[in-house]
Amino acid sequence: MTSNLDAARARRSRLGATARRLGTFSAFGAPGLVLYTTFVLVPVALTIYYSLTNQNPFNPPTRFVGLANYIRLASDDDFLRALRNTALVTGIIVVTANLGGLLIALLLDRRGWLYNALRSVFFTPVVLSSVVVSVIWRAILTDDGLLNSMLRSLGVTHPPGWLSDPNLALFTLAWILTWQMVGFCVVVYLAGLQGVPVELHEAASIDGAHGLARFRHVTWPMLAPALTINTVMLLITGFKVYDQVQVITNGGPGNGTTSTIAFQVVQTAFSGNHVGYASAMATVMLLLVASVSVIVLRVLQRREVSM
Amino acid sequence: MSHTVKHSTDTGRPARASRSTRAPQGRRAVADRRPTRRSARSPRSGAASPGMLRPVAAVFVAAVFFLPLYLIVVNVFKPGPDIVPHPFAVPLPPTFANITAVLSRPDHLFWYGLVNSIEVTALSITVTTMISAMLGHYLARSTSIWARATLVAMLCGLMIPPAVILTPITQVLGSLGLMTTVVGLVLVNIGYYVPFGVFVFIGFVKGVPLDLEEAANLDGASTLRTFWQIVFPLLRPATASVMIFLGVWVWNDFLNPLIILGPDTGTTVTVGIYRAIGEHQTDFGAEFALMFLATLPVLVFYVAFQKHFVKGLTGGATKG
Repeated sequence: MTSNLDAARARRSRLGATARRLGTFSAFGAPGLVLYTTFVLVPVALTIYYSLTNQNPFNPPTRFVGLANYIRLASDDDFLRALRNTALVTGIIVVTANLGGLLIALLLDRRGWLYNALRSVFFTPVVLSSVVVSVIWRAILTDDGLLNSMLRSLGVTHPPGWLSDPNLALFTLAWILTWQMVGFCVVVYLAGLQGVPVELHEAASIDGAHGLARFRHVTWPMLAPALTINTVMLLITGFKVYDQVQVITNGGPGNGTTSTIAFQVVQTAFSGNHVGYASAMATVMLLLVASVSVIVLRVLQRREVSM
Repeated sequence: MSHTVKHSTDTGRPARASRSTRAPQGRRAVADRRPTRRSARSPRSGAASPGMLRPVAAVFVAAVFFLPLYLIVVNVFKPGPDIVPHPFAVPLPPTFANITAVLSRPDHLFWYGLVNSIEVTALSITVTTMISAMLGHYLARSTSIWARATLVAMLCGLMIPPAVILTPITQVLGSLGLMTTVVGLVLVNIGYYVPFGVFVFIGFVKGVPLDLEEAANLDGASTLRTFWQIVFPLLRPATASVMIFLGVWVWNDFLNPLIILGPDTGTTVTVGIYRAIGEHQTDFGAEFALMFLATLPVLVFYVAFQKHFVKGLTGGATKG
């Protein structure tokens, strides 16, 4: 009898604990998880599902087409060009913004109001909308823009078509992205530089290491975490470039010379309404971003540990 | 801090030491002693010219870097026809014609955009901060394997490019009847930015002693009340970081408001800039003035909270 009563009480308290846990979860965990699931996880799942269909809202019925979209992608020149453009822009900005950021950070690695103010100057474009940055540079670099007007008044009869020359436009785009992102790298590298213990520099100078040698063997290894952060950030930025293309070049000049994957996905889905096909592109993009980011993160973090 | 003091007295330069100990952070104080040392070693006359070289070079590079922004700011206050022939000239006397033209546009593009932007940004960052603080707290305190799995799923979310999930998002919103509404855009923002908030908050929650919460619970406070009255106020630095970064991201967002709000509901100021540039391709004055007005809130915000931006970014950079 007593044991029965004990068991019942235990069960009740266990039930109470479960109810309390459930209550805590529904108050604390559920709102965030429900929204994240609804607006990120479900859309990702839908994207993968659509990529296996010929979904087109204006051309029903939707049929399951297996891997046909992916097979078509492999020989789609527009998509392959967008892929190449994205890889090129990403590769360029990873190098230029990292290098520029490092050089500027080394220049600003002193104390005082002047250097703090200059750091803020370099960081300003990071907080600006990429639409604003795009419009600024478009005004400067279009054929009749501020730069070419100035060049003409200086006697240059045929200034370069920064945004209208198909061979140049993509590099101009990479330059604009570098300008916007370099301040991010500056701030991260500066924090890294200021974390280098002064004893290391003293030890190195006692050992006779100066200038480049000291940078190579003392400073640079200590900047490994900063390099990791900047590189991953630039990779993610580069892969998803959309705004600048839409605002500055609209994919042109010519046929998709500055089109990126993100731009191609949105064009195909919203202008062409080929949702199934665009979803296949999006899935490829998702896999690319995920795998490259994970690989780079692994490599760079292993480097941090070994140094 | 104590380390700096000790080190400086060892070198027998108490005056320098006291100056460097006044620096706010120990690590900075250590770093600052580098130039002092170097100049102390070299003869005074030789130190002057390399000493000037760095600030001059730094100011020069920053000035070149800043030129595009300078062009916008000066040309906002210049009569339209003067811009292309004299882009660098200082506008004297300044004209406010460009700005009043934007403010009094017959289609109210700027004002409607401003209202939408404020609504979307304020709602998005408030709710995202609250929700992600709670979820971050929940995940930080939970030891179950599900909490771990959730964390990994959220980590993946941080890397997803918005363009990838935009089509299905419009369908989800459509089926909820929230397409082309501010509420729909706010919900999408919350879902997309919750992982960022969670990651910032988790680190801070782990620094709050568990005893504190248990004591409050013993005193009869509910879990919710304990969180909002005891824990959340202690998370203020994280809250500041999350709200500041989200504020800038949401205000500056282009693709989501462009597609989700669509042309019917009006635009945000950021999308408004894009809508306006098509109309007057060469009217740089109007273009710059709209941009200037749309960016002013962000710039004021940035100048006011500068320190938090830098702190928020550099948390991970110095771990090594």
